[in-house]
Amino acid sequence: MRFFKVIQWIVWKDLISEIRNRENLSSMLFFALSVILIFSFSFSMDQRSTKELMPGIIWVAFGFTGIIGLGKSFLPEVQNDCIEYLQISPVSRGAIYLGKFAGNVLFLFAAEIILFPLFILFFNLDILDKLPVFLLIFFVATVGLSALGTLFSALTVQIRAREVMFPILLLPLAVPIFIGAVESTRGALNGDPLALYSHWVKLLGIFDIVFIVVSFWVFEFILDE
Amino acid sequence: MLASRFIGKLRQFQNWFALFAGLFLTAGLYMGLVASPPDYYQGEIVRIMYIHVPFAQGAMVAYTALFGGSLWYLWKRDAVVDNMCQASAGIGILFTTVALITGSIWAKPTWNVWWTWDPRLVSFAVLLLILIGYLMLRSFLDDPGKKARYSAVLAIVGFVDLPIVHYSVEWWRTLHQPLSISTRGISIAANMLYPLISMSIGLYLLFAYMLMVRTQMLYLQQLLEAKQGRLLSDIH
Repeated sequence: MRFFKVIQWIVWKDLISEIRNRENLSSMLFFALSVILIFSFSFSMDQRSTKELMPGIIWVAFGFTGIIGLGKSFLPEVQNDCIEYLQISPVSRGAIYLGKFAGNVLFLFAAEIILFPLFILFFNLDILDKLPVFLLIFFVATVGLSALGTLFSALTVQIRAREVMFPILLLPLAVPIFIGAVESTRGALNGDPLALYSHWVKLLGIFDIVFIVVSFWVFEFILDE
Repeated sequence: MLASRFIGKLRQFQNWFALFAGLFLTAGLYMGLVASPPDYYQGEIVRIMYIHVPFAQGAMVAYTALFGGSLWYLWKRDAVVDNMCQASAGIGILFTTVALITGSIWAKPTWNVWWTWDPRLVSFAVLLLILIGYLMLRSFLDDPGKKARYSAVLAIVGFVDLPIVHYSVEWWRTLHQPLSISTRGISIAANMLYPLISMSIGLYLLFAYMLMVRTQMLYLQQLLEAKQGRLLSDIH
C-alpha cells in the first residue's frame, strides 16, 4: 500500500507545483503551437497531401513537445537539492520512478488533448467520429514516450550539457514508438477500420510494457549514490 | 573479482586470438573473393556479402557484449567490466559503420538506391545512434562510479533495439532479404557458406582480440590518471 502512496504523493507534488508556476505545460503548449503554425505555413495542404503528411506532422509536434516537457521533469528536483532528499527517503526507488512517470504521462497527454483541436482546426481534419481511437493511440504512445523520457531525464539531469544529451539519448530509442504512433495515426486518419492497424497499437503496447519494466528496474541505479 | 580473473586468464592467449583471426580472415577472403563462384542473380556484386554480413554480425555481438557487461557491472560493480563495456561500444561503432557503408555500397547496384527506409536499415542505424549516444554520455560524466552506472543503464535500455534489428526482416517482409541461416534451415549454397562462416569466425576472433587490447588500454589509462591525480595531490 505504501508503494502506491509514494506514487500518489509524487504525482500530487508535481501537479501542485505545475499548477502554481505553470512553467512546464505553458512552455510545451507554446512550443507546440509554434510548430503547428510553422508546419501550416511550410506546406500548402490539399486534401490528399494532408492525409499523407498529417500523421508525421502530429507526431513531430508531439515528440518535440515531449522533449521540452520530459527533459525538464527532473529539473525542479535538482534546483533545491531535492534529489538528495529523494535519494535518502526510505521508499522504493521504483515508486519514485512510477510517480514521476505518471505525472509526465498526465502533462504530456493533457498537452496533446489541448493541441489536437488546433490540428483539426488548422488543417481541416474531418475526424470527429474517430476521436476515441485517436485518444487511445495518443495515450498508448504517450505512455511509451514518457516511460523513456522520465528515465533519461533522471539520467541527464545531473550531467553537463543536459539539454543536448536528453534528445540525443531519447530520440533513437523512441524511434519504434514514433513509427508505431505515426502508422496507427495514419490508419485512423484514413478512416480505416481499427482491425487494419491494430497491430501497430499492439506494438506500441508491447513497447510500453518493455520500457516501463526495464526503466522501473534500472531507475534504482540512477538514484543510487 | 571473477571477471577480472577471467580477463587476466584470457589475456595469456590474446596473441593466439589475433593469429587465428588473421588465418580465418585470410582464408575467408581468399575463398570469398577468388575461389567462390559469382551469384546467379547478382554476379560479382555478391562478394561484398563476405564483408557486410560478418561486420553486421560483429556489431550485434559487440552490443551483446556491452549489454552483458552492463548487467554484470550493475550486479558486481567491477571496474574492469566497465572498461570492457566502453571498449565494446567503441568497437561496436566501428563494426556498425562498416556494415552500414558496405550495405549501402551493396544496395546501390541491387536495389538502385544508396539508402532506403527499410525496417532492418532503420533499426541498424538506430543501433549506431545508441552507441554514439552511449560514448557521448560517458564523455559528459566525470565521476567514474556515476559514469559506469549511468552508461550501463543506457546500454541495458538500448538493448531493446537488438531483437528489432534481428527479427525486422521476419516481421516486416520488405526489401532486405530474410535470414539465410535460421531455425528453418540454411538456404545458402555450400561454396558460399564456407567463406562466409570463415569470415564470421575470423571477425568474432578479431573482435575478441580488439576487445582485450582496448580494455587493457582503457584500464591502464585509468590507472595512469589515478597516478597523475595522486602526484598532483602530492604537489598541492
